[in-house]
Amino acid sequence: MAKIKIDKELMKKIKRYTKIAGYSSEEEFVIHTLEKQIAQLEETDSEEEVKKKLQGLGYIS
Amino acid sequence: MSILLSPALLTVVFPVCAHAYIGPGAGFAFLGSFFVFFLAFFFAFLALLSWPVRYVLRLRRTKRGLRKDAWIKKTIVIGFDGMEPLLVERFMEQGHLPHFTRLRVEGTYRRLESTLPPLSPVAWSSFQTGVGPGKHSIFDFLHRNPRNYLGELSSAQIQSSKRALRFGRFQLPLGKPTIRSLRKSKPFWNLLGENGISSMILRVPITFPPEPFNGISLSAMCVPDLRGTQGTFSYYTTSTQTEGRKTGGHVIPLETRNGNIQTWITGPMHPFRNEETPLRVPLRIELSDHSVQLQINGASYGLHPGKYSPWVPVVFRAGPLKIRGIVRFYLRRVTPSMDLYMTPVNIDPANPSLPISHPNTFSVYLAKKFGPYATLGLAEDTWALNEGVLDDQSFLEQCYTIHREREKMFWDAMEHLRKGLMVCVFDITDRTQHMFWRYEDKRHPGYRPDAPKAFKDLFQQVYQRADQFIGQVLERIDSDTLLIVMSDHGFRSFRRCFNVNTWLHQNGYLALQPSAEPGEWFSGVDWSNTKAFSVGLAGIYINQKGREQEGIVTPGEEKERVKGEIIAKLTGLIDPETGDPAILDVIDTGAAYQGPYKDNAQDLIIGYNEGYRTAWESATGRVTSQVFYDNTKRWSGDHCLAPDKVPGVFFSNFMFPSNNPRIVDIAPTILTAFGMEPPAYMDGKALSADGVSQNTRSQRLSMGREYQD
Repeated sequence: MAKIKIDKELMKKIKRYTKIAGYSSEEEFVIHTLEKQIAQLEETDSEEEVKKKLQGLGYIS
Repeated sequence: MSILLSPALLTVVFPVCAHAYIGPGAGFAFLGSFFVFFLAFFFAFLALLSWPVRYVLRLRRTKRGLRKDAWIKKTIVIGFDGMEPLLVERFMEQGHLPHFTRLRVEGTYRRLESTLPPLSPVAWSSFQTGVGPGKHSIFDFLHRNPRNYLGELSSAQIQSSKRALRFGRFQLPLGKPTIRSLRKSKPFWNLLGENGISSMILRVPITFPPEPFNGISLSAMCVPDLRGTQGTFSYYTTSTQTEGRKTGGHVIPLETRNGNIQTWITGPMHPFRNEETPLRVPLRIELSDHSVQLQINGASYGLHPGKYSPWVPVVFRAGPLKIRGIVRFYLRRVTPSMDLYMTPVNIDPANPSLPISHPNTFSVYLAKKFGPYATLGLAEDTWALNEGVLDDQSFLEQCYTIHREREKMFWDAMEHLRKGLMVCVFDITDRTQHMFWRYEDKRHPGYRPDAPKAFKDLFQQVYQRADQFIGQVLERIDSDTLLIVMSDHGFRSFRRCFNVNTWLHQNGYLALQPSAEPGEWFSGVDWSNTKAFSVGLAGIYINQKGREQEGIVTPGEEKERVKGEIIAKLTGLIDPETGDPAILDVIDTGAAYQGPYKDNAQDLIIGYNEGYRTAWESATGRVTSQVFYDNTKRWSGDHCLAPDKVPGVFFSNFMFPSNNPRIVDIAPTILTAFGMEPPAYMDGKALSADGVSQNTRSQRLSMGREYQD
């Protein structure tokens, strides 16, 4: 997994907000923050791909 | 743990051939067979040689093993998915469950509060993390993608590599598919592992893809089949009466030539073809009067009507690459038409093309020891029964086969458990109750008074089998073992469907384009005039501006007003046909959930009354003509209800006096039992056990060798 350098002040804030927000670790907080940004940029599956991935799930038709 | 050496040795002796990753669509990275063998041998040798150094380093890095205030050495958690308290209590009362009864009398029995909503992905995620959905981010089987309103599996994301070198019809994928778990927070066994306590985690839902930790695991719910779906069966038939499309599978019409049939088994997409071309393996079927002979990959299998084949290996080839799967066949009949069912193509555990265990070699170890086994997440083929491709008996046989596979895995793990944690989940209770509640409930549209007694008594038999199993476990545990037997939710009859999207449409919250025929995934929906929609089984999303791709409802006052209106209209909604309240309450998740992921949730969760569930079509975004209608499918039991209608069960050999244990409490309870402080982020609270404190091991109640039937 890649490593990223974060300055001490930012890391302090991350530690504080990790506890407040209820993340299990600072790593989870950082990953979630990045994922939120990336989700806006990523390509989405087509309807065909969606149907295929969900096919066979017993709870839905 | 000795169990970890066995896979390494077995890998050396039985090398894995052409390890490849697959996904829906193309995308492969591969190694040649010989290179894999060489690497496996080299790394096994290196691992043995470096073991003393790694042992010392590990000791320095991790806190060592059990703490002095641990009150047990081992914990065994046995999950029976969907075990229902009313049934357990009834059967205990009737004397059918002596071992559960002894646990109740001498240890603990309580109803176990499930999650909001009480669905397996949500509940098992809370079990393993000790947090609510707002902190683990699983709120349903599906969630909607706010960029396109389409549904996605909530627990795992598999994306094929989009980068490839393309030349004409061919391509060379660059990079392998990515597989990500979408469950957040941290399983409590990771925390145990950080403190030197190892775990064995067998088929616990929402453990795919497998994560590295101090222990071994075999993934479960949402592991796909080799085609990248949640389970696509094949139905080969010479009948001209069968329609072409089945939900959950494909019908393959066949023609006989000189008593033989030549057809195909379809596998994953060809990794080296530009267009979407599936890999196929020839299947030859030779017919005789009373049986068939199947020829696949040079091997021959005879089959008689009413019988399953054993697991049959299927090898798909793409150039030098081999992708291995396993299937089972069930021959329904030979005449008047040949009707042959084939399970979804499961990932071959002996040669997994996707990671389904940690370490990778663990699934191989189990396959070498016990033979092939079902790897598909939802392995029991409920859609095959729903569509009448399997009948009740053949489906039940499939359930029991998979159950026996699981039992073998459990006993093998039990043999290796010296200390630490073991968790194993059995699905037979869930699958049989989903499919056969129509025999339990006289009011169900599918109820048959003339149904065979074996099916009317089926739940008792399944629960009795579970009870016998628990009895065997109790004979083998000692006084240093905490045993927990639990379920993630209960069950009720599913008699009536409620199409949420139709209700929203009829009440002005969901608009359709003029003259459009509404279809799946909101085809025909006019988003510019839609304020609310529903995806999945549990709830409603507000079409919020700035959040949804074409959102129109302003966050803040307008959103709160819309939510308030829907809550008021739906709460207590009466089914006009039955006169029963269909919906007991509607929960605003803004208030109900805490945590960094709460904004991913549905805005409203529907608390259905027993007998009701979100309609099949509604879950996938289709508006139909009726709001309420009968559920006529064989899938006749469910648990997507108000949580207090479907609690689970909690049994233990220790006495836990708490009257209201919650599934979210189990993780901190086990951490405490091992002498660890549960982390502050956990929402669950450790249940205190009677007679347990530092230096009072001798006072602990034990069900172990003192137990006498």
